Amino acid sequence: MDIEKFNEYKKLTRGNWGKDLSMLKMMTVGLLNQYKEDELTPIMEMMLNYLLDVPKARKEGRKFIMHPFNYGPEIFYAMDLTPLMQETYSVGLAPLRLNEPYLDLTNKIGYGDNPTVCNAQRPLIGSYMQGVAPIPDLLFFLSTPCNSLAMTYQVFEQLANIPTFNIDIPYWTYDKVGEFNDDQVIDYMITQTKELISWLEQQTDQKLNLEKLQETMVKVNQARQYILEFNELLKTVPCPVNSQGAFGNFISMVGCGGTDAAVKSTKYLRDIAATNVKNKIAGVPDEKIRIAWPYTHIFFDGELLTWLEETFQAVVIMDLLGFYQVLPHDVSTTEKCFESLAKGALDFSMIGTCRGPIEYYIDFLLNYVKDYKIDCVIMPMQFACKHAYSMARVSSEAVREETDVPVYIFGCDPYDSREVTSESIRGGISDFITQVVL
Amino acid sequence: MPIIEEFENSIPLMNPWVNNWKNEGKKVLGYFCSYIPEEIFHSADILPVRMRARECADTPMGDAYMTPTTCSFTRCCLELVNRKQYKFLDGIISCNSCDQIRRLYDNIRYKAPFPYHYIMGVPGNVSDTTIDWFKHEITKLIQHIEQNFSVSITDEKLNKSIKVYNKSRTLLKDLYMLRKQNNPPITGTDVMNILTAGTSMPRDQFNELLESQLTQIAQENNSIDYKSRIMIIGSMLDEPEFIEIIENLGGLVVTDSLCLGTRYFWDLVDETLDPIDGLAKRYLSKISCPRMTDGHQKREQFMMDMIKDFNVDGVILERMKFCALWWPEIFLLRNKLKETGIPSLELEREYILSGAGAMKTRVQTFIEVLESR
Repeated sequence: MDIEKFNEYKKLTRGNWGKDLSMLKMMTVGLLNQYKEDELTPIMEMMLNYLLDVPKARKEGRKFIMHPFNYGPEIFYAMDLTPLMQETYSVGLAPLRLNEPYLDLTNKIGYGDNPTVCNAQRPLIGSYMQGVAPIPDLLFFLSTPCNSLAMTYQVFEQLANIPTFNIDIPYWTYDKVGEFNDDQVIDYMITQTKELISWLEQQTDQKLNLEKLQETMVKVNQARQYILEFNELLKTVPCPVNSQGAFGNFISMVGCGGTDAAVKSTKYLRDIAATNVKNKIAGVPDEKIRIAWPYTHIFFDGELLTWLEETFQAVVIMDLLGFYQVLPHDVSTTEKCFESLAKGALDFSMIGTCRGPIEYYIDFLLNYVKDYKIDCVIMPMQFACKHAYSMARVSSEAVREETDVPVYIFGCDPYDSREVTSESIRGGISDFITQVVL
Repeated sequence: MPIIEEFENSIPLMNPWVNNWKNEGKKVLGYFCSYIPEEIFHSADILPVRMRARECADTPMGDAYMTPTTCSFTRCCLELVNRKQYKFLDGIISCNSCDQIRRLYDNIRYKAPFPYHYIMGVPGNVSDTTIDWFKHEITKLIQHIEQNFSVSITDEKLNKSIKVYNKSRTLLKDLYMLRKQNNPPITGTDVMNILTAGTSMPRDQFNELLESQLTQIAQENNSIDYKSRIMIIGSMLDEPEFIEIIENLGGLVVTDSLCLGTRYFWDLVDETLDPIDGLAKRYLSKISCPRMTDGHQKREQFMMDMIKDFNVDGVILERMKFCALWWPEIFLLRNKLKETGIPSLELEREYILSGAGAMKTRVQTFIEVLESR
């Protein structure tokens, strides 16, 4: 990174952010130092600005809203709110093993354990007890994809007494013909989206500017278009990006969907993929194995995918979150905008695949395996993720029956390195690849 | 035979009542969770039985498909479904009450299907919008039942069934009111037997039996000795033996907030409303389980009201291992109890009672603490 740019960012990290934002400050400084020697990519820039916007908003008297990892922030941006995805903490702190003291504390105060309550949210309660959890002005969450998420947000709401709104995500689908279709699903979501907006208007004492919403959604569309192109390019053999590539798209959309920064980041990733396809460059040199990874990354082990690449010339095409496949909004009329927002909420990463019957996930997985010429599937299932873990076996049988592609399922905790260690995970994957795949 | 024994005999899912029902050529459907309106089945002359799995001893199939870190209730259910122990059922009805029940339904469909399956989407919070949506879900369920079982579910029939179920609820409330007395005439164990039996026998007969039971209680004028009055809070508990352990140690269970307890029957359906409106409002706004993301304050208030009204000395918070709903909820309830100086004991359990010795020791200590206050 250019030294002037580095110093500029360094300056922005200074000052008192408040005790509740002290961990955010630590993460921001850590990220900045990590990027110091690297070229400043649009994704890095987006991430730094995203984190820095929280103390800035507080300083400027703008409200900040905390939301989960499965809802796009375009409405919040259109209302000049600063969004903060809660899981930024658990994902960001996991590789540094810094969730773990808060998990221990959370265990000590009797708020769940690793196999029961998801650690993507659970450290929030421990860190709140220590006074270092961010206290947003507003809290928003959804009823899915899991009880665990909805419970921890609910508990946080009660403990911190934060004005909260939540949306009920229906079980049914609008886009599939058959037993799971319900043609009233979109209207139900539109009504709830409008209720969310009314609530935000009350909380912020300002009306939503529909033109601004439309402009924000246009920016979402630009980013979504790049992502769809990127996803298409990843079908190429060899895969034009490495195993980490797609996750940047997810970060862009969940953190900054609706901003110029997300457009720039997604374009950057699309351009890399396009150039590499054109020049026949592989993301992983001498690619031998293409892996579908239909769950989250193991966040505490930042080197796992690199190890896979270096040891087996294996590329993980996309993880469940990075496989963002929401279609662009229709912004032609106000009503179409709301319809698109409703669809976007239902199709968001993990919500689309996990909110309803197992068929949503199986369809996703089978298409993934077939479209991306997958050699094997690795499903690292989080112990506490009941809705995902308890569909893994049936889904793996569907993959084997329909495609004959081998599947490896293992239990772990992506946020706690002590539950199942890196060594154990690598040992299991290594056995699977050497004994079954190769 | 004492009436309570008749209830006890009705607890197994396949019991003489169900057998007689089947022999009459009528249908029986298994259902999961108290968010499914039983009145719909009653009005179609279908017997709804609440899915339970008390006969389960081990769960190899459940462990493999539901995984060992899901609750043992769902693993036990999958196990018994797979072993064809519910083969007398003509189908099952589920809902997205929790992630584990939702996935249990998927696993049953794929690994051990019934002739008929249906799942309801139950909203996760209460508002005019979600109540409207639930009306839509109820209407869909009715249509599905009508189409698949060639029956007609009219408003008139629904209204009749609502009255029958409301009668049940009122009778159960009468039973609970007796437990408010200084010397209650019935144990928590017997109440659990009655409640559990009610979920696996025809409703009209249940009401008759319960009325007789109430008359008998009034005539006998019994009173139960105890050391402390206990409220029990938690999820799916259909095991009278669990309550019996507490009561044998002197802790009389006088009220509860359980899936098969007050949360199942406390609120009535408003009979003045259109039946589907009434059902949607009642089932969505009833004393909730923590699956309802906006219901904690109401649940907490319900607990505090119960403690006061039933003169409770201490609260046992039971949670099934790996339940992502009840552990967080109990965390909040426990804090509230601590704040208000009400002693509580948290017990982690498996669906099928295990570790009774350890449980006895903890409960005994708890009751001693309550006695010493």
